[in-house]
Amino acid sequence: MAVRANPNLIDELEHYGARDASKCYQCGDCSATCRLSGDASVFPRKAMHYLQLGLEKPLRSTLDPWLCYYCGDCSERCPRGAEPGETMMGLRRWLTAQYDFTGISRFLYRSWASELAAILMLALVTGAGFLGFGYILGGGNLSVYDGAGAFLPAHDVHIFDWTMGITLALILSINCLRMWRFTMRGEQAAPVSPSQYVRHLQLLPLHFFTQKRFRDCENKRPWATHLVLMLSYLTMLVLIMFFLKEMQSGPKVNWYVHSFGYLASIGLVTVTILDLRGRVKKDEAYHRHSHESDWMFLILLLYVATTGIVQHVLHRAGLPMAANITYVAHLMGVVPMLLLEVPFSKWSHMAYRPLAMYFAALQQAAGKGS
Amino acid sequence: MSQPEASAGRSEAGKPAAQRVGVYLLQAAGSASDGLDLQRVAEIAAHLPGVCAVRTLRPSGALHPEQLASELLRDELDAVVLAAEHPGFYQDAFARALALTGHDGEQVRLAPFGEGRDGLCVERANALIAAAVQGIPFAPAAGPPASSPASFCAATLVIGGGVAGIQASLEIAASGNKVYLVERTGTIGGRMAMFDKTFPTLDCAACILTPKMVAAGQNPNIEILVLSEVEQVTGSAGAFKVKVLKHASRVDANACVACGDCARFCPVTVPSEFDMGIATRKGIFIPFPQAVPNTYMIDPEDCLWVQSEGKKCGACAKKCITDAIHLDARDEAIELEVGNIIVATGYDTLDARRIERYGYGTYPNVLTSLEFERLTNASGPTDGKIVMKTLRQNKKTKADEWVFEPDGPQPKAVAIVHCAGSRDRNYNSYCSRVCCMYSLKFAHLVREKLPEAECFEYYIDMRAFGKGYEEFCERIREEGVSLVRGRPASVTECGPRLNVHGENVATGRLMDQAVDMVVLSVSMQPSAGAAELAEKLGIPLDADGWFEELDYNSEPDSTGRDGIYIAGVCQGPKDIPDTVAQASAAAAGVLRSIIGSGKQ
Repeated sequence: MAVRANPNLIDELEHYGARDASKCYQCGDCSATCRLSGDASVFPRKAMHYLQLGLEKPLRSTLDPWLCYYCGDCSERCPRGAEPGETMMGLRRWLTAQYDFTGISRFLYRSWASELAAILMLALVTGAGFLGFGYILGGGNLSVYDGAGAFLPAHDVHIFDWTMGITLALILSINCLRMWRFTMRGEQAAPVSPSQYVRHLQLLPLHFFTQKRFRDCENKRPWATHLVLMLSYLTMLVLIMFFLKEMQSGPKVNWYVHSFGYLASIGLVTVTILDLRGRVKKDEAYHRHSHESDWMFLILLLYVATTGIVQHVLHRAGLPMAANITYVAHLMGVVPMLLLEVPFSKWSHMAYRPLAMYFAALQQAAGKGS
Repeated sequence: MSQPEASAGRSEAGKPAAQRVGVYLLQAAGSASDGLDLQRVAEIAAHLPGVCAVRTLRPSGALHPEQLASELLRDELDAVVLAAEHPGFYQDAFARALALTGHDGEQVRLAPFGEGRDGLCVERANALIAAAVQGIPFAPAAGPPASSPASFCAATLVIGGGVAGIQASLEIAASGNKVYLVERTGTIGGRMAMFDKTFPTLDCAACILTPKMVAAGQNPNIEILVLSEVEQVTGSAGAFKVKVLKHASRVDANACVACGDCARFCPVTVPSEFDMGIATRKGIFIPFPQAVPNTYMIDPEDCLWVQSEGKKCGACAKKCITDAIHLDARDEAIELEVGNIIVATGYDTLDARRIERYGYGTYPNVLTSLEFERLTNASGPTDGKIVMKTLRQNKKTKADEWVFEPDGPQPKAVAIVHCAGSRDRNYNSYCSRVCCMYSLKFAHLVREKLPEAECFEYYIDMRAFGKGYEEFCERIREEGVSLVRGRPASVTECGPRLNVHGENVATGRLMDQAVDMVVLSVSMQPSAGAAELAEKLGIPLDADGWFEELDYNSEPDSTGRDGIYIAGVCQGPKDIPDTVAQASAAAAGVLRSIIGSGKQ
């Protein structure tokens, strides 16, 4: 069987943050050091090898990068400074771009200027759109925040949220299908029966909610902060998609709903600040290298969380006009973040990672059976 | 794209005027150039075409590349001329500084006005600087021979008594010239004396080396100074003055008959340096039976009499039948006059404790390569039997300790780990060159002495670089040794055995191999004190700390300083044949200068 090699692949990966893979001399130290690497899937060395050889197709069909949570042990140990951990991170970005059928992901990852421009443009459109909506179709009065005659009525925002949510979910689902096709229907993949798909289905929620595999890394802190961030984000998503009316009500605090919001806000702000600090200080191997998309993601997330908190506080403080302006500013962050990150960038791994664990388990079961 | 090509074309056409050259006048404290009017040299240099800056430095010790780089940046220099009596020592710091500023580190040119034989004068210094500014080679050694041949000294100093130092000494002495062979330990022989076999011929190392050692010991032209260290070097090629500190052996070499009574009565037992600590010696000792000179000596660090300032013990002196032992003997400072110096200081091995994941120092049966050499050596503590350590109670301290005993248990499986600390940016990023081959030799010895035992070689790349080496590798493979491509990540305890964990790169699977003994092929590194010696001699070291040769390809045995040569591993890792060849080459350089001086 002929194998097609792409000699430019390793250069292409530089745009995604994998800059040092060519230094690897295949000693296997990384694979043996990694606590997550096992007999089912031994990584990261093999992916480094594929990358050096330019084997695009096997690389596209590998699940290995998603099985790595980037504790950085391999990079610390690497005798050559080939940064296997960062290579896996770069491959995750590259795979995200490969799965994405629109090509937007590739566009965003390869050029930070484009990503920044896209964020700013979407922010401006969002801002103009919501102001226009507020004045023309909404309450029309910037000093009314909630209840009847609100500038941005919860009901209308809710409809907007759901429209956007369903669109993003659709795009992400198509990308997930492509991931399934590449990894489970490729030449290397073992055939898996439908019953096995059903039998292992519980792995999806298990890995999604606990990220228990991450806990197998020697350093437990990244797992804890990662889980807090994910759960906070998820809580916020649920609150906004299902309890927007309660969230926007006030100025009295609705403890049944708002307490969840407070916890999630604390989680989001704390973790993003810790993460930003780590990336500035570069004190851990997994923070040593930062892709431009990492910075934009963190800053955007911190911005969204802070504006969310501020509008809530301003509302309680009896300053509805300031609250409304902050609300629009908040939405100017939320919309670009969700539109760009969920299907095309960082947040998409919320879907890809559990899927990869699920697929890897299926492959292992199928491989053992044959 | 056209821009860089155009500029490259210009520089090829030879217009160095485009370069911004800085001249650095360096004057080490107490150097002979004190007599030179440096200010006058600087004034003339400032008027040379192409010179953008002239600076005078009076460094004490090494220079800091970062500091120099900021100076270079301020003057916007892209080339540097180092003018000094012996500027070679500072070359590396400036090369790194230039590289830091984004320029070519090669653009450091030397104007060594202390060399050559016309003495120091302003005209000569400026001629050298002018040539260096233009990038024109101006070999200091070239030109007419010494203006005063009467001052040329034909004697040679060889620093380091390993196989390189012995070889060079024998070559020079054979031509009838005097050699001082200075050795830090109590015997010549160096590392090679510790080895059991040589690769790839599996010759007995001692059978090759000991005749050379004896020849050196008996040659009337060779004066061996053991327990000695070079303290200070002044003068220049043809007339070096060297101060040597000779530590007292406290045993009169002429009177000692090596009967061994003293050692029998000595109450002190310490780990033997020659046996890499896997066996013990007494406080008064001969490093090994074939030592040259074959005289007992006392290590003052361990001696009860010395440590108590004569209040305790003294048993050896009382028992000595020839009254050879003088416990109160003092260290001696010797002044030598020599015309040439050969540096052959060899290597140390990386401290294997630093590689924590391999468990050296924690698990008794994880050994370094030199320890294994002594273990498998017929003159070693187990008479050459490959056994594991056994737990035994120390009679004196009552503490349990792991020791080698000839009747200890035999290992059923041995793992040999290549590149322990080599080719690894966390330790030494260079290849130590000989480890692959000696590791294969170890495997052969294991299979030969313990045919039942399994032997695993864990390697990254098999570097069989010499004549007959590839064939040797094939031979070992055919002897049933498992050559596993993949570098172990860790060695851990697994019940009474050891577990070697790694990825087998050939199969892409993780492996866990239970073995009884692990041998770490540890990295070579410059021997302790190499940097201080380089400073005393005024010769450069490379970035890894090895002595730097004048030209990698054409003058691998010469240094940046006339009259000083390097030989053997001190210049960079190499095997025995290459070491011996380089030692002979260095000797040839010395003899060339002796003959050229008309002294012979």
